[in-house]
Amino acid sequence: LTKPVELPQGTLEMLILKAVSLGPLHGYGILLRIQQISGERLEILQGSFYTAIYRLERQGWIKGKWGESENNRRARFYSLTAAGRRQLKAESAKWTDMAAVVAGILDKKAGEI
Amino acid sequence: MSLFAAIRKLWHSIAPRTHGDVEEEFRSTLDAYQDDLIRHGLPEEEARRKARIDLGQPAAQYDTYRDAIGLRLFDELGGDLRHGLRALRRNPGFAVVAVFSLALGIGATTAMFSLIYAILLHPFPYVGADRIMNPHAISEQHPDVFQWFTLSKAQCDDLRLAAPVDSVLGFTSGHLEITNDGLPEDISGVYLTENADTFFGVRPLFGRMIEPFDADHPVVVLNYRFWQRRFAGDPHVIGRTLEMDHDSYTIVGVMPRSFAFFDKSVGDVYLPASLMRAVANGPAPSFLPWIKLRPHVTVAAANAALEPIVFEMATHHSRVSGWHLGLQPIIVPYQQKTGRTLRLLLAGVVLLLIIGCANCSILLLARGRTRQHELAIRSAIGASRWRIVRQLLVEALVISCTGAVVGVAASYWLARFPLSLSPDSFPAESVIRINASVLAFSVGLALLCGILFGLAPALRLSRNDPARSLPGRQAGVVAAPRKHRWSVLIAAQVALTLLLMATAGTAIHSFLELMQMPLGYDPANVMELAMGLHFHDTAQWRRIQSREARTAYIEQIREKIASAPGILTVAVGTDATPPYSDPVDTDSSFNIDGTRDHEQSQARVMLVDQQYFAALHIPLLQGRIWNTDENTRGDFIAVVNRAFATRYLSSSNALGRQLRIAGLPLQDHFTASSAQSTAWRQIIGVVGDARNDGVDRPVVPAIYLPYTTVMRQYVQFFVRTQGDPLTYLHSIRAAVASVASDQQISNGAFTLNEAIERDAQYSRQRLFSILFGVFSAMALGLALVGIFSLVAYSVAQRTTEFGVRLALGAPRTHVLWIAVRIALVSAAAGMVIGLALDSFLGVVLAHWMQSAFAAGSLLAAATLLALGAFLACLLPARHAIAVPPAESLRYE
Repeated sequence: LTKPVELPQGTLEMLILKAVSLGPLHGYGILLRIQQISGERLEILQGSFYTAIYRLERQGWIKGKWGESENNRRARFYSLTAAGRRQLKAESAKWTDMAAVVAGILDKKAGEI
Repeated sequence: MSLFAAIRKLWHSIAPRTHGDVEEEFRSTLDAYQDDLIRHGLPEEEARRKARIDLGQPAAQYDTYRDAIGLRLFDELGGDLRHGLRALRRNPGFAVVAVFSLALGIGATTAMFSLIYAILLHPFPYVGADRIMNPHAISEQHPDVFQWFTLSKAQCDDLRLAAPVDSVLGFTSGHLEITNDGLPEDISGVYLTENADTFFGVRPLFGRMIEPFDADHPVVVLNYRFWQRRFAGDPHVIGRTLEMDHDSYTIVGVMPRSFAFFDKSVGDVYLPASLMRAVANGPAPSFLPWIKLRPHVTVAAANAALEPIVFEMATHHSRVSGWHLGLQPIIVPYQQKTGRTLRLLLAGVVLLLIIGCANCSILLLARGRTRQHELAIRSAIGASRWRIVRQLLVEALVISCTGAVVGVAASYWLARFPLSLSPDSFPAESVIRINASVLAFSVGLALLCGILFGLAPALRLSRNDPARSLPGRQAGVVAAPRKHRWSVLIAAQVALTLLLMATAGTAIHSFLELMQMPLGYDPANVMELAMGLHFHDTAQWRRIQSREARTAYIEQIREKIASAPGILTVAVGTDATPPYSDPVDTDSSFNIDGTRDHEQSQARVMLVDQQYFAALHIPLLQGRIWNTDENTRGDFIAVVNRAFATRYLSSSNALGRQLRIAGLPLQDHFTASSAQSTAWRQIIGVVGDARNDGVDRPVVPAIYLPYTTVMRQYVQFFVRTQGDPLTYLHSIRAAVASVASDQQISNGAFTLNEAIERDAQYSRQRLFSILFGVFSAMALGLALVGIFSLVAYSVAQRTTEFGVRLALGAPRTHVLWIAVRIALVSAAAGMVIGLALDSFLGVVLAHWMQSAFAAGSLLAAATLLALGAFLACLLPARHAIAVPPAESLRYE
């Protein structure tokens, strides 16, 4: 079993945007998908999960709509809005940049500094 | 309904999802998770438990939602609000006093604001009212004397073409008589050029306004009040006919209440200007113009552009040289007349409001001492200082907003008060109503007040150190009061109250003085009746057109009225009603024998008959009054008043001197003058001075002439009766009808006392003395309540301390002194400040009110206030010594 990864602050929202960008999902579906994509390595703080969803909806980045779930339950499905797509793009670019910079620094050997 | 929809929409944009919606979604997630857990082998009950531990309770989810979308502050404020309301309910005495103090201030201020709004900011209902100008001619010699001028209809049309002019309204008023039923009623008609509808842009209540296609058609538009009076507000009046001067007019419209064109001679009916031609043998009708300028044209530019055009039109007028054209926005006369009055009243109510706020601050501070324990606990369990200040401020706002609601409701009535006291000072059009601006003003005022009076106590109380106040349950024994913020407030309150009271004192004093001023005549039980003679009807007019016939007609009516029972004296006059504060004509120049012609000799010419002096009880000082024959002849004689004799004649030999008034006959189609009216006249008598330039101004020199020398198309009767003259109106109407059945009496029969009440200075002084009297009574009440509740609170707080003191043998007077000391000292300090403030401001205020500063009234006010403050301290302080020591020690 691989070791679970703790999520840095503020990245949960980005992950939710990413999960929803692949197709409309209800709340629990988002949770499952993030865990599934990460290979079960992410332990999402479940209490903060809905806070993030509400905030994203408030910002207008995702949009909720009531529908039927796979096992015939009423559920609220979230999909990405145009503004959300832009936001996801910007956030991913920022993340990649930052990760590259941080990784670059950490990769330096003693002799190279 | 639309309001609810709007609120719902607003609420939806703040919180788009409902409680049920959020909870349902959360439950579906919870269920899905639970199902998953069961699938993984957990027993159902345990899966349920674990799901709730991991995800949370569905009931709490809506709070999470609101928190996430940033409504937490909102929720907390709601909590503060509920807490504040509960605190008020728990303490109703405090709540009532606090709300009442503010309601007084906010109500009075809102009333004054709506008055200012209605009168100075938005008095006219016309479209582009700020661009409507009242043109007049300004003399170079007397720039303060306004001279209106009239234009013919064609000239109005010409003026309309001038570059800076948007449109021109021509109007003129005349008397009409309703002839189709019962007693003839005299009404006032205003003829308007047919562009009236577009010029005013006021939407009629029913039907329509005068339109261009109405020219030469007998149509009439009704004024709201006339419609109410005559037709009892019947909405089906359109299309009916109204018979006036024996002609039928079709009613085509009713104007709304706010439309009261124009000024003091508000028309009962409005008619097309083209109907003016119908006047028998009249000269070409002429109209007073109102000019509406195009937008963005300055008054000065319009003045310069229009002056040559107007004077070109007026070349046949003799008085062109030495005159300028002046365009005056129609609001200006009212601003000049009432602006200062309203500013002064506004200052008064603002003082009242400040006193009310100070009162609330005092109450909050006093009550806050009982709440220290609660606040200390809150801060001990982690409330930040900001949180406590916020809560206290919200409580203050609850009080101020409640006060505002009560105050605004009260202001609806309060605002009418000045209007009913001094109706002539305000435009007839200004309708006092609570509108959006007034509401916005009062809401703003409430918020401002809440912060103003809430902030100081909140900051003060939130500074509590919990460590010191929490164990303070037994601190009552040592509760030596620390620094008292409220002693400053008490002092300020007392000082401002004294200022208001002294102002009221000055106003009342000078009003009393005005009332006691000798008038020189006796207005009691005398009434004035105005009568317009028939000049519309050609046949009737012929019969009384000559001077002799008219005199005979008037004398016949006079004798008939005089023979009615209960009537003592009846006199005749033409525009000679005292106190004559609003002269129709300016004074006339005259020559006296033996002196050279010089223009400076001016006197007021009063056209009266010989009974005038008896009817008004004006004493004869020298010589005699003319007799009946001389009155009929009208010429060669004159009577002067004492002011005239002192000023122009050496008073010892006034009798027998000769004078001549060159400009006496009026060039008017309806006037009949005697051929000799400008001849030399002998002074046969000198009478006492009767006020003839307003009640407050000195009597000006006056010449009394028989009214038959220059007769107009109207006349006034002065009727002295036994008891209230107005009760004789019916028998007088009958007497008049016995001479000429269709001779109408104008509606405005009034007593001479009413004429005095209408005097500008008199009504202003009365307004000031009543309103400032009310303000200062309110302020006094507030200040005393403030002092009273402060002392009561502190006595209640310190019961234990007083008990200990008494038990240890302190004299009762000493304990009493301790209880009242601070309040009494701060009140005394306030008195001193108030006296200083008053001797500084009093003179300025008195000048503003146009009355003398009265030191005596200041002293009286100070005594009253001191006495009140003393009692307000002493009454609650008695409780400090009334409680037996043993009981007060058990109090804890």
